[in-house]
Amino acid sequence: MTALMDPPSTPSAPEPTPRVEDVPRSIDPGLPRSDKVFFGVSRAIGYSVFVLMGAIGLFLGLQSIPTFKRYGLGFLTESQWQPEKDILGISAVLVGTFTVALVAMVIAFPLALATALYISEYAPAKFKSFLVSMVDLMAAIPSIVWGLWGFFLLQPKAIHVAHWLHTHMGWVPFFNVDTDPNAAPWAQSRYAASAFIAGIAVSMMVLPMAAAVMRQVFSQAPIGEREAALGLGSTKWGMIRAVVLPFGAGGIIGGTMLSLGRALGETIAVVLIISPAFDIKFKPLEIGTSTISALIAGRFGEATSAQLSALLTAGFVLFIITLIINTLAAMIVARSRSGAQE
Amino acid sequence: MTTAPEVNSLIPTYTDAPATDVVHVRGGSLNAVEISAWFGSNKVLEKVSLEMPANTVTALIGPSGCGKSTFLRILNRMHELVPSAKLSGQVLLDGDDIYDPGHRITETRKRIGMVFQKPNPFPAMSIADNVTAGLKLTGTKIGKSDREALIERSLSRAGLWKEVKDRLKEPGSALSGGQQQRLCIARSLAVEPEVLLMDEPCSALDPTSTRRVEETIHEIKDQVTVVIVTHNMQQAARVSQQCAFFLAQLGTPGDIVEAGPTVDIFGNPKDPRTEDYVNGRFG
Repeated sequence: MTALMDPPSTPSAPEPTPRVEDVPRSIDPGLPRSDKVFFGVSRAIGYSVFVLMGAIGLFLGLQSIPTFKRYGLGFLTESQWQPEKDILGISAVLVGTFTVALVAMVIAFPLALATALYISEYAPAKFKSFLVSMVDLMAAIPSIVWGLWGFFLLQPKAIHVAHWLHTHMGWVPFFNVDTDPNAAPWAQSRYAASAFIAGIAVSMMVLPMAAAVMRQVFSQAPIGEREAALGLGSTKWGMIRAVVLPFGAGGIIGGTMLSLGRALGETIAVVLIISPAFDIKFKPLEIGTSTISALIAGRFGEATSAQLSALLTAGFVLFIITLIINTLAAMIVARSRSGAQE
Repeated sequence: MTTAPEVNSLIPTYTDAPATDVVHVRGGSLNAVEISAWFGSNKVLEKVSLEMPANTVTALIGPSGCGKSTFLRILNRMHELVPSAKLSGQVLLDGDDIYDPGHRITETRKRIGMVFQKPNPFPAMSIADNVTAGLKLTGTKIGKSDREALIERSLSRAGLWKEVKDRLKEPGSALSGGQQQRLCIARSLAVEPEVLLMDEPCSALDPTSTRRVEETIHEIKDQVTVVIVTHNMQQAARVSQQCAFFLAQLGTPGDIVEAGPTVDIFGNPKDPRTEDYVNGRFG
C-alpha cells in the first residue's frame, strides 16, 4: 500500500510504507502433516522400484564375476554349453534368442499395427471397447497356455508353412533347412520344434502390448489435424497416413521395442516348443535352437554352483540387453510428439 | 475493390499478391435448404435455410451454442464426423445436393474448403508441404515448377508469402499463431475450392493477425465464396456483404432470426433481437 492510497482523513500522519527487501522471498506455505506423510510414503514406494531394479542388476552382476573370471569374454563367443567338458558359452543361445524375437516381431508388428489402426480408426464405436478388452484379454492368457497352443495346435500346421517357405524361398539362406524340400515324403520333423514356431507363439504374447501402446497414441492424434486433412478432401486412409501415423510414430517404435524386450525374455512357451540345440545358425525354420531364458529354465534344476553362476551370467546378459532396449524405447516414446503430451 | 466504402476505409490496400497470375476461378453458390441437425436426440438446428450467393462473404453471427458452427460444418460434410450427428435437409452447391449419394464426400470437401478456429497446420510438414498437402491428400499430381508457382500463389493470396518465402522448408509449427492460420488458409486455397468456410478463424489471433486475415478474405472473395462464423460484430461488419443472425432460445434448436445485407443487419435490423445483439445488448 502506498501513501497515495491512504484515506484523506489522516493526511497529517501518513502510515509509513512497509519496507520491502528486494530479495526473493519464500512463498512456500509448507505442507500439512498428513500431506507430508503421504508424500513420504509414496516417494519411498516410488524409489523402491529403483532400489529393486538396482538390487537385481547388482545381484546378477556379482554372481557373474566368477564366470567371467573363469571363462573371460570367451563366455560370450563360445557356442556350446557342455558343463561335463567345462565348455560354457552363450553365443548360440544369444543368436537363438534374437532369432526367436525377430520372428516374433516380424509377425507381431504388422498384426499389432493393423489391430491398433482398426480399433482406433475404423471400428464402430459400439464395437470398440469390446475389441479393446479382447486384446487385453489376449495379454492375460498365461504363457504356458500359449506354449501348449504352439506345441499342439500351431506346430502341426506351421511346419507346412515352413516347408512351403523353404520350397519356394529356400534360395534365401534365412529360409533354408538342411533337408531336401522336394523329397517324396518330406522330412516333417526337420521343420518342427524350430525358432519359427516358437517365434509365432511369442508373437501372440507380445502382440497385445504392442497393439495397446499403438492404439493409445493413435487415439491421441489431434482432432484438429484430422479434420484439416479430411476438410481438404482427403480419404480416411490419406488422413491416417498424413496425420495419425506421423503423430503415432513414437508410439509405433516404442511399442514395438517394448514388445521386443518382452519377446527376448519369453521363456516357457519357447521351452515347450523348441528342441534345444547349441549351434550358431540363422535358419529359423529348422529344428533346434535355444534362447537364454530357455537355457536357464532347462538347466537350472541340475546345475552345480559353478553352472548356476554361469546361468546367472547368461541372465545378466539378457538383463542388460532388455534394459538397453526398454530404455531406448522409453526415450523414443518420450521424445515423440505423442509421448510428450502425456 | 468492390466493397462498401465504410469497409474500404478500414482495410489497408493489399499489395502482396503478384498481379500477373491472378486465378480466374469463380466461387460456387451455396444454398442450404431446411437444414435440421441433431446430436443424438438433441436437436440443435431446426429447418434453417440460407442462400450464400457466389463471390460474396456471408457472416454467420449469434451467441454461443446457437448452432452456427454446426450449420457451417454441415456445409462441407464435416458434421457427420461426430458419431452421433444426424441431419436433414439439403445443401445445394451450384444447384447440386452435396448429400446426394452420387457425390463423393472427398470431392465435395475439396470443392468446399474449411479453415478452423484453431490453426491446425500439419506440424511434421514444412511450410511448402503444408501448402500442397491438399493436392497430395487428394492424389492430385503436379509438376515441380507448377508446384512452386502454386505455393507462391497460394501463400500470396493468404498474405503470407513475404514473411515465409525464405524459409519454406521450415516446419509449419515454427510459425506464430497468426501466420499458422494464414498458412491454413493458403493450404485450403491451394486446392482451388469454390467455397471457403471459416469457423471463427480469428478467435485465437491477435488484432494485427486478425487484420491480415480479414485482408485476405477481401482478396479472395472474387474467386471464392466465403462463409465465416464470427463472434466479433466489428469483424462481421468489416468483411461480409451478407449476414445471418442465429439464435437458439432456451431449450429450443437454433434458427436464423434474420438474414440479409450486412448494411441492413447492422444499420436497420428488422427484428428487435437482432438489434439488441448487434448493439451488444446481449450474447
